[in-house]
Amino acid sequence: MGVIHIGAGGRAQVNEEECVECNNCYRSLRPEGRNPTLVRAMRRLLRSIHLSYEPPLDVCPTGALTPPKLEWPRLVRNFFSDVLSEHGLTGVVGRGTEEIKTNDVTGRLAEGQVGFAIDMGRPNLGVRFRDIEKVAVALARAGAQFEPKNPVTGLMVDPATGRMREDVLDEKVLSAIIELQVPLANVLPIVRALDEVQHELDTVFSVGIFAQYGPDNAVPYQRPLEEAGYRLSPNGKTNLGLGRRSA
Amino acid sequence: MTNTLHRRGSVEELSHDFVMFAIPARGINDAGCRPKLQQFIRLVLRHGPVNLGDARQGQRHSDDFEKLIAGLTDKSIATATFDNREALLAALREVQAADLGISINVTGLIDTVDGCCREIGRRRHGVEHSLGIKGATDRLPNRNVLAVGTLCGHGMVSFNLIQRVLQLIKLNKLSPAEGAEMLRRPCVCGAFNPERAREILEQMRTLG
Repeated sequence: MGVIHIGAGGRAQVNEEECVECNNCYRSLRPEGRNPTLVRAMRRLLRSIHLSYEPPLDVCPTGALTPPKLEWPRLVRNFFSDVLSEHGLTGVVGRGTEEIKTNDVTGRLAEGQVGFAIDMGRPNLGVRFRDIEKVAVALARAGAQFEPKNPVTGLMVDPATGRMREDVLDEKVLSAIIELQVPLANVLPIVRALDEVQHELDTVFSVGIFAQYGPDNAVPYQRPLEEAGYRLSPNGKTNLGLGRRSA
Repeated sequence: MTNTLHRRGSVEELSHDFVMFAIPARGINDAGCRPKLQQFIRLVLRHGPVNLGDARQGQRHSDDFEKLIAGLTDKSIATATFDNREALLAALREVQAADLGISINVTGLIDTVDGCCREIGRRRHGVEHSLGIKGATDRLPNRNVLAVGTLCGHGMVSFNLIQRVLQLIKLNKLSPAEGAEMLRRPCVCGAFNPERAREILEQMRTLG
């Protein structure tokens, strides 16, 4: 996010408005536990003779950063941004959804249905729920049925319209997945809705599309998308079908 | 989440990048699955993965596989990353034979994974593709930085960090291998491919 900088007093400052509470800085940096006053004095001294102290990239000399205790609605930032944080709604770590990955066991996505995972804010830019709402509303108008076990759906006041709770709209997260499914015939309206709404955003989103393989081992959505001029990635995720329900 | 889906690169570059993971379905087959996840990690370890992990634990045990295995729980997602098809195929063969009963997914070139499945007599259940990035794409960095950043779909390897590592490589203060290792550390789930990152950093060292 780039939200940490050294302020005029020589102290690290966090832009709280932009911070997504991913906890990556606490997790990735090794604190050396050096005296902060001494470190600042050394830096000033070195700067006066045009030298600088350059510690390894994964070191925080003073251990200056500590995780805050979060309260609602800011807590939502941590739920969606910290990979090690478990969503209360889904019990899944990360952004909180299993989509096609366990479909061989859950059967959530039936044959003839196509799923979408719209990864808002990805890659790496982050997103506010106000922008997530814009996309969700556009998708609802295009006929999306939002996945009830997805944490973004859990923050909607009305999944039929895609409207989000008012209290989270200004919260920023690293990414959040809008997950939905539609019949195969409705794939193109969804993709076109995404094409249109993308111009209203100041961030990015990555689009995933998934389905069960057909009886002929074909990808059901490939033909309609390619005929409409869309291109599928050569790489993707394959569920091997090795899972089963416990006896 | 879809943390391995949107990896970027040419077909040639992606042919060195496969992620296999075992994931229990919450509330359906997760109770008591810890030994199966442990067996999964032991099986894939025989085939030289370039990274291993469990998003529940983070990467604290990334160099101590016994700690990683001991730390697995019923809620874990066990992940192994390979840099070649042969290792993937050998691991797949063993995992299928073990009949663990939990969902196994592979992210990589779809046709290559299909070929591997045919070789082991496996009919695939489902597939997920990327339709790319939309929105304010002018805010994104260049192609190579993006290729490295998308190796961690959770977004833990920031564009700023990649660009800083690249600066240090250009100044000969880090080697591409050291830089790739530095970038691997924030990735908590084991999906980051340090070998592919090293290749990209090596290319970028001499590019403008």
